[in-house]
Amino acid sequence: MSATRVNPYPLPDLLAALEQVQAREQNDATEIATGSSINFPSDDPTGAAQLSELTDESTQVDSFQQSVGSVNSLLSTADSTLNSVIAALQTAITAGTEGANGTLSDSDRANVAAQVRGIQSQLLSLANTSYQGQYIFAGTANVQPFVADANSPSSVTYNGNADSNEVTIGNGYQLQVNLPGSQIFTAAGGNVFQSIQDLITALENNTNIGNAVTEVDNAYNSVNAQRVFYGNGISQLTSQSTYLNTEKLDLTQQANTVGGADLAAVASQLANDETALNATVEAIAKIPQNSLFDYLK
Amino acid sequence: MGSLLGSMAIATGALEAEQGALDATSNNVANVNTPDYSRQQVILSENAPIVIGNVSFGTGVSLQQLQSVRDPILQMRIAEETQAQGQLNAYVSQMQQTQVQFSSTGGNDIGTQISKFFASLQQLSTNPSDSSLRQAVLTAAQNVANAFNSTARNLNQQESSLNSNVTQDVQQINTLTAQIAGLNQQISSLQDVGQGAGALIDQRDAAINQLSGLIDVSEIQSDGTGLTLTTSNGSPLVTGGQSFALSTQADASGTQQVYSGTNDITDQIVSGDLGGVIQARDQTIPGLLSSLDTLAGGLADGLNAANQQGFDLNGNAGGNLFVPPPANDQGAAVNMAVAITDPSLIAASSDGTPGSNGNVANLSAVANQSISGGGTPSQYYGNIVFQVGNDVSNSTAELTAAQSILQQLQDQRGSISGVSLNEEAANMVQFQQAFDAAAQIVTTVNAMLYTVINMGTLTNP
Repeated sequence: MSATRVNPYPLPDLLAALEQVQAREQNDATEIATGSSINFPSDDPTGAAQLSELTDESTQVDSFQQSVGSVNSLLSTADSTLNSVIAALQTAITAGTEGANGTLSDSDRANVAAQVRGIQSQLLSLANTSYQGQYIFAGTANVQPFVADANSPSSVTYNGNADSNEVTIGNGYQLQVNLPGSQIFTAAGGNVFQSIQDLITALENNTNIGNAVTEVDNAYNSVNAQRVFYGNGISQLTSQSTYLNTEKLDLTQQANTVGGADLAAVASQLANDETALNATVEAIAKIPQNSLFDYLK
Repeated sequence: MGSLLGSMAIATGALEAEQGALDATSNNVANVNTPDYSRQQVILSENAPIVIGNVSFGTGVSLQQLQSVRDPILQMRIAEETQAQGQLNAYVSQMQQTQVQFSSTGGNDIGTQISKFFASLQQLSTNPSDSSLRQAVLTAAQNVANAFNSTARNLNQQESSLNSNVTQDVQQINTLTAQIAGLNQQISSLQDVGQGAGALIDQRDAAINQLSGLIDVSEIQSDGTGLTLTTSNGSPLVTGGQSFALSTQADASGTQQVYSGTNDITDQIVSGDLGGVIQARDQTIPGLLSSLDTLAGGLADGLNAANQQGFDLNGNAGGNLFVPPPANDQGAAVNMAVAITDPSLIAASSDGTPGSNGNVANLSAVANQSISGGGTPSQYYGNIVFQVGNDVSNSTAELTAAQSILQQLQDQRGSISGVSLNEEAANMVQFQQAFDAAAQIVTTVNAMLYTVINMGTLTNP
């Protein structure tokens, strides 16, 4: 045999090529349908592992964002409650100043005292504000923090504790989310309930009303100072929320870079594969149908 | 001096030879589409001359044999590559089933559930006494356990269903080795009497190829006993006319082990379908299960320890969140279960007060704890995903390579042993012409003999 023989059966080769092109086409179609280039870990092992961790981080950012939302509502409730407390104390100061005026009759002063009593019960209710089932000024005790108590010099007893909670709103970022009620309402040198009770006693007995008003004024200043905590908290949450949004966007982009299908590229790849498929099919069809036998007469 | 009768004998011999050659062509054409058929080649040889006086007279042609054209070395390469391909094919198809467990597309995979669990803890920290948030943590914990359970259970099931693949493969191997031994006998008896055994050798090659798709086969061709086949570690499969059946036996854990005689050769089978099946069953899947066990065990231990540091909603010291995994973590994934049903038992508080969330931080910190040196739970899981994906992707690439090598070898085999119709047509014409010519000689010699016979006869005046 002089000439090199060639394999007289090219068909298996061509069929294998056809299968390869078809498999590629299917893969492309899946990528387009799911919009993801990683549909199974083997599509891109490193990418799949990255994607799994990115998904975890993304879930975490979502949960931080959700916490920011809940804490924000909590702090806003506390802030607006303290706003009402401050307004009530303001009214009490005005009333006290009026009561201190020596020209007032006993009955007029009694009326003022009654007004301040009204403010006292309003303050008690404000100090017992709850948000979604938790008393926001009870420390971590989660019991009604302030209970009216006739035996107490300040007219109330504090049943909460002096603890506070922290909530994580970012990686390694803890935010204190409450001040114990004792620090806001019964602090030494600014005791809201003591000062109001003293004002009522002073008005009723017409003694030392001026001193009592000063005491309420101190309480007013103290609450105002404590309120800053909540204002700060809210502004921290706002900026953290912006940061988390950026981080979420960043993570989404990373995930898209790692595992998103490049639709334009896949579509053109699909078109290429289609061409290759057609060419292969044509090649198969063109395998010589005739042999020398056909020409022997 | 030659004789007319001698010439006649040469011509008739030529007729026979060409006719035989045409037989080969005919047989080749008939088998043009028969897989594993090796084309037959006609070996013609010149007969020994006779010397009369000073002249040496040729005595014509005889058909020596019809030789099947094959390259035994190539045949062995094909068998080898078929083993590699069989192994990879079985392995890839198993691992493709396995990797579905680790795909995050459905959102029910272990990684996603772990992330969701820690997210639910994060929510609990904003309102630690809220019963719906507590319930959400408990549900998320249940989902983590379920994800581990179902993934591990599916892997276990795959592992045990591979046992039936092993027994089926062994049955097929035994059928084939018996068949090969039978063919060996027939071939050697034909070869003893000097006859070509091409067709039988083709059949045997086909059987060896099939066998190579199932198990690693080493071929030793020896003159005396014919063909000997062993596994690559030397366990005999076929020696000449005798075959040695493999057997399977379930071990204590129900895993089917492969025996050659009394030797357990399971670990030594590395090729063919059986090799791929055993690799998936005995190495890859158990490896994955053990990684999952470590992760499940580490997670459960970490969260239990953290829960015990705090106090539940009733002010009591926290207990276990998950049923404690065994010390060696074996079966931790498939048996993972939440230990509590009462959401108030989640120990969120650090001081016993119901409104404290101080211990949630300890529970959440487990998300950043290292699982037996393999990174955080999320990283550890990511690494498992990488391993599975990488395994499938590498072996798929190897499979594609093995397939194209096999394809090339088949091409090469085709170029040597395949039947070309053009060639056969040309041969046919050639043989036909030679036959015609020989027939012409017979006619001519016949006429000459007639002339000789009638020599000296008086012609009519």
